Amino acid sequence: MSNNLGLPNEGKDIWVVGINYDYNNLNTLNAGADELDDDSRQRITNSILFALGYSFTDRLSMETLFTWVNQSRTIRQFGNEDFTETSGIGDAVFLLKYAFPEVLGRATVFNIGLGIKAPLGKSDLRSSQGIQLTADLQPGSGAWDELAWLSISKGFGFRPAATFSSSFTYRLTGKNKSYLNDTSTYEFGNVVQANVGYTDEFLLFNVILNPGLVVKYRNSRPDKIEGSDIPNTGGEWIFLRPELLLQLSPQIGIISRVEVPLYSYVDGTQLTPTLRFTAGMSFKLNTKKVNPINIGS
Amino acid sequence: MRKIILIMTIIGFILGSCSSVDDQRTETPGNPVGNNDDDPEVGTSGEWSIPIDQVLDGGPGKDGIPALENPDLVIAAGVDYLSDDDFVIGFKNGDDVRAYPHIILDWHEIINDKVGGVNLAVTYCPLTGTGIGWNRFLEGGITTFGVSGLLYNTNLIPYDRASDSNWSQILNESVNGNARGEQIDLLMLVETNWKTWKTMYPLSKVVSTDTGFSRTYGISPYGDYKTNNELFLFPVTPKDNRLPPKERVLTIVDGDDAKAYRFNSFSSSPIIRDTFKGKEHLLVGNEDFLLSFELEEDKAALEFEYIFDGSDIILADNEGNQWDIFGKAVSGPRSGEANSNAREPETLKPSSFFMAFWFSIPPFYTTEIY
Repeated sequence: MSNNLGLPNEGKDIWVVGINYDYNNLNTLNAGADELDDDSRQRITNSILFALGYSFTDRLSMETLFTWVNQSRTIRQFGNEDFTETSGIGDAVFLLKYAFPEVLGRATVFNIGLGIKAPLGKSDLRSSQGIQLTADLQPGSGAWDELAWLSISKGFGFRPAATFSSSFTYRLTGKNKSYLNDTSTYEFGNVVQANVGYTDEFLLFNVILNPGLVVKYRNSRPDKIEGSDIPNTGGEWIFLRPELLLQLSPQIGIISRVEVPLYSYVDGTQLTPTLRFTAGMSFKLNTKKVNPINIGS
Repeated sequence: MRKIILIMTIIGFILGSCSSVDDQRTETPGNPVGNNDDDPEVGTSGEWSIPIDQVLDGGPGKDGIPALENPDLVIAAGVDYLSDDDFVIGFKNGDDVRAYPHIILDWHEIINDKVGGVNLAVTYCPLTGTGIGWNRFLEGGITTFGVSGLLYNTNLIPYDRASDSNWSQILNESVNGNARGEQIDLLMLVETNWKTWKTMYPLSKVVSTDTGFSRTYGISPYGDYKTNNELFLFPVTPKDNRLPPKERVLTIVDGDDAKAYRFNSFSSSPIIRDTFKGKEHLLVGNEDFLLSFELEEDKAALEFEYIFDGSDIILADNEGNQWDIFGKAVSGPRSGEANSNAREPETLKPSSFFMAFWFSIPPFYTTEIY
């Protein structure tokens, strides 16, 4: 979810709508930073993320992120394949943001945001035989999380179209107090995520292209059950994320991102991300005004 | 306004999508490691004899923890991957003596092996600390067991590949599938540390870490779970606080009842004779191992003495017999020696016992403590 936060403030009374498809494939088994020779397990998460942003003023805006999640677990062992899949509405994020222009010099925008993740998704799905599935196969977390978000972008004097940007997200997770038939509490690990990236802008066939390259750092603390750390959860990752934004018109943009791990360190032995891909569109509605804060950023 | 309506329609579509679950298993035709039966009463379908709301998906999925079959073995003298304190589970059939290290069982949970004429499954649940030997010869013939990925009261649920039925390890009984209600025959295992085992059996074969699977043997997949009395990964009902949850105890089971014996009960005397449910048991223990034999017929009249000196001979009796750790008479009139009357060595009948973390027994049996 954190990957898809951060819609720009496009100016007072402007709505931004985004719809993204996200594919996350975990097929690499790691012990610490070492990759094990075992591809028998695969986890795939397909998500559809629907983002809706609205700017109350040129500085104050909000965004919401609704999700639909499809998760699968496939075990290929001894010539057999065991497949489990869950689908459903996932949790939703509500984020209130405020923009501070020019705080770090000309052509800079600094944003802060606070929000929550609401447990709209089910966290007690059972298999077709009525067997309760584990937390990480559930579409929802069953917990209210708190979110803090910061971003900063800065245009370069030598090339006005080039932008350096970074963002930081902290997710303070809550407890699912009714885990496993109300017998336990479960808490996903707190997550810190930081992105540092560079984007540029080109015009090609009357379409504005914004290619970018982002380095993402993610640190996840171990999950907890009944307050105790769960082995084989949590870790630290660095990803490289090339991305491309096509501005088809002032109102419509198409984004695509590919995320590949550069470094993975997991606590214990875990599946770790192999490849992630995101594609989506965004629409600006009521674009009579343009936010002067975002000009040049 | 039309755009807003469109947006709200999309939101409604998304929110209106129902949550769903799909699970299925595809097996390669002719694959011996799998069930090719078309019977719908297999696997997790059909009735369970245990409360299904207490059966949980452990996370890795069916065969996500791969059981081993006929693993490679090395001789004890060549083992460099075990430290003296590492636990092993030992089995003996005739002169064939084998050790199954916890550091390997932690990652595989079941080892299907054939020792002489015995088809053995060493089943081991790292979450309940239970290592139990199962005879793989069932009513339908010989099978192998795999790890279903399911847990009942945080205990391993193996499945047998002949019928795809699920079994409860601690109940030693099939709880789902065609074999539901069928009991398993237990085979005696000895759980002790590597130093004790290799001293007793220097020629023992030991399961090699060359298993065909890439795992970090020697690093527990469960962190400090085995010693952390606060850490439970899955619910257990009821939690019985009479003893520290992760204390290792010897447990004798009989019907719906169990009796637990602690290591410290043997600190003053390494031999305990105890009656449980009308049967007399001979328990032998020190700080490194606990064992139990059921004294039947004339063996109940024997008087035993603890003579363990590091070898596999642990008992002597008033008839002049000596008995090894698996209860076999190795010398004396009951040993089948040339000048004795017995034709085959007699054995003490093992009690239905296994080692376990204390907390794991009361959810399954009405449990008393010695």
